[in-house]
Amino acid sequence: MSSYSITEPSKRQKWVAGSLVIFYAVVTLMPLLWIIATGFKSPSDAIAYPPKVVFQPTLEGYVNLFTTRTRATPEMLVQAGEPKTWYDRIVRQYDMVIAGPSRYGERFLNSVIIGFGSTFFAIVLGTAAAYAFSRFRVPLKDDLLFFILSTRMMPPIAVAIPIFLMFRQLGLNDTHAGMILLYTAINLSLSIWLIHGFINEIPIEYEEAALLDGYTRFQAFYKVVLPQATTGIASTAIFCLIFAWNEYALAALLTSGTAQTAPPFIPTIIGTGGQDWPAVAAGATIFLLPVMIFTILLRKHLLRGITFGAVRK
Amino acid sequence: MSPTHFERAAEATPPMLAKKIRGLSDRAIAWIFVAPTIFLLLAINIFPLIWTIRLSFTNFRVNRPNAEVQFVGLDNYRRILSDSDIWLTMQTTAHFLIWTILLQVLIGFSLAYLINKKFRGNDLWTTIIVFPMMLSPAVVGNFWTFLYQPQIGLFNYVVGFLTHTDPSSFSMIGDVNLAPWAIVIVDTWMWTPFVMLICLAGLRSIPGSIYEAAECDRASKWRQFWTITLPMVLPFLMLAVLFRGIENFKMFDLVVQLTGGGPGSITELTSINLKREAFEKWRTGYSSAYAVILFVTVFGLASIYVKALNKVKER
Amino acid sequence: MSSFISGLMRFRRGAWEMLASIMIALGVVMMMQPFALSLFSYSFLVTLIGTMMFIITSHFPE
Repeated sequence: MSSYSITEPSKRQKWVAGSLVIFYAVVTLMPLLWIIATGFKSPSDAIAYPPKVVFQPTLEGYVNLFTTRTRATPEMLVQAGEPKTWYDRIVRQYDMVIAGPSRYGERFLNSVIIGFGSTFFAIVLGTAAAYAFSRFRVPLKDDLLFFILSTRMMPPIAVAIPIFLMFRQLGLNDTHAGMILLYTAINLSLSIWLIHGFINEIPIEYEEAALLDGYTRFQAFYKVVLPQATTGIASTAIFCLIFAWNEYALAALLTSGTAQTAPPFIPTIIGTGGQDWPAVAAGATIFLLPVMIFTILLRKHLLRGITFGAVRK
Repeated sequence: MSPTHFERAAEATPPMLAKKIRGLSDRAIAWIFVAPTIFLLLAINIFPLIWTIRLSFTNFRVNRPNAEVQFVGLDNYRRILSDSDIWLTMQTTAHFLIWTILLQVLIGFSLAYLINKKFRGNDLWTTIIVFPMMLSPAVVGNFWTFLYQPQIGLFNYVVGFLTHTDPSSFSMIGDVNLAPWAIVIVDTWMWTPFVMLICLAGLRSIPGSIYEAAECDRASKWRQFWTITLPMVLPFLMLAVLFRGIENFKMFDLVVQLTGGGPGSITELTSINLKREAFEKWRTGYSSAYAVILFVTVFGLASIYVKALNKVKER
Repeated sequence: MSSFISGLMRFRRGAWEMLASIMIALGVVMMMQPFALSLFSYSFLVTLIGTMMFIITSHFPE
């Protein structure tokens, strides 16, 4: 940019634009802040009217999220003795005792396993395929690339019908392997398209030089191309992870217990008399925070990710 | 399509070079690299697709495995395409689609326009605005039902406060007239940043020299906007609209958590309707035909989308 | 416009792809319009033909 340009907005314009954008950002952030705040409220504060902005923070929501509790008779309470830990004390206020851990930990772990597993395979297969599409003559390349992309756009419910039947035959319903396989296939489209774009940007001359130096194609691939594509591959991996992390429709239809991930589970957290909102909010907070952190890390590559690499910025 | 720069370069590379030195030929490596992907796509995409098409001509039901499966020809398709209930779900989807796209384009473009004024800290605020679209729609949708509660919900409280009405006098997801708007609001909240980001890329791709030339010609700001800004951003906007269109045509997770299709079937979008047919009524053959109809529609829209993608890529 | 027609006559990709895109869009509009059930009934056929056409014509020369 030149030091002075007539198209540069004036100070006043900038000020107006800035305040409008900040206003929108604050409004749009409200629901998210409300989720985080509700997680630290007591159940009665959470459903107070008018909605409470200032409240006594408590970890009740988190305790309720990770435990199952039973109501105890006075004799049982006496028998149990004084509460030993801070979470015992919180539960004891309601004449309850902790009966055991809740399912949330398992479901969260399932999300982690399935998310990382499918991301790993999608990236390994995707990088290899993207390299081939970028550097070799692959027959029907454009049609293949288009078909690969279109698989991602298919309605998940329509996809779920045959997958459900197929997994039932193979015994893959409600298994980690099945979900990893399925998410790998869906994420492959994104990883191939994005990494294809990143590899296309690496000048082919580097590899040619390496080949002339006596490297094999394979060595040229992992010693020359891979190191240069690392940033691109890493951001692609985060996009794949976020997709698998957030996916709901297929997880809700194809898993029910063992391999259920967090998104179908969180809405089913029920307290006494309706949903236990602090617990739901606590579960949501723990689940959403990693994605927010990833979003900050990804901010330079966001556009590429959401447009399959078309818009480079 | 004409060969890309890389293909030409690849051809220029002596074909036997790699082999001559040692190791596998390029062709073999290409196969090794692509084969696992092709295999996985065959297993998880193509095979189920063919299976769906085959099932769509039968009266198969998953919950009656012993019943005889009959070939019914195009009967399922005929029934779906003359069913006025399904036509109605399509209209519900259309209402959702049109309003979300309209609002997202208006707000998203305005935001991008403002951010492009390059005020201090615009990067930070852009990142903050983007948060909603990265989050799990099901989890967020579920929480919005809390914000929409009459009396205790934040949304009702704020709206009640601003319009001086009683926050418990209306229920966004319980009221037949309000529920279609409840889902539009949440989807707009979630996906406006998407349109904004793409518009921002479009605005930033316009070279400043064009405006400088227009300024020399004494073109008014208003005229500059209509003759330069808008036409230059249009391909990007098309991309955003098509993508949001496809996404909202198959919308499931957010809405199913928000309203579950209710009250009644007022917000029953196509995907929710299909889920009921396939996984609650278990009419597998029938819903396979339904799925094929949606597949073809999305496939058609996707091909236009890829065309738009390539247009933007050339810029 | 005349270049569009001559494009169609000479089996050029651009013009035919445009025609296919219009058919797909028309099919989608027919599917979701609230006016006539019969339009809805034929929407799938129009989309299907448009999509097939797109796949075939995208292999025509530029």
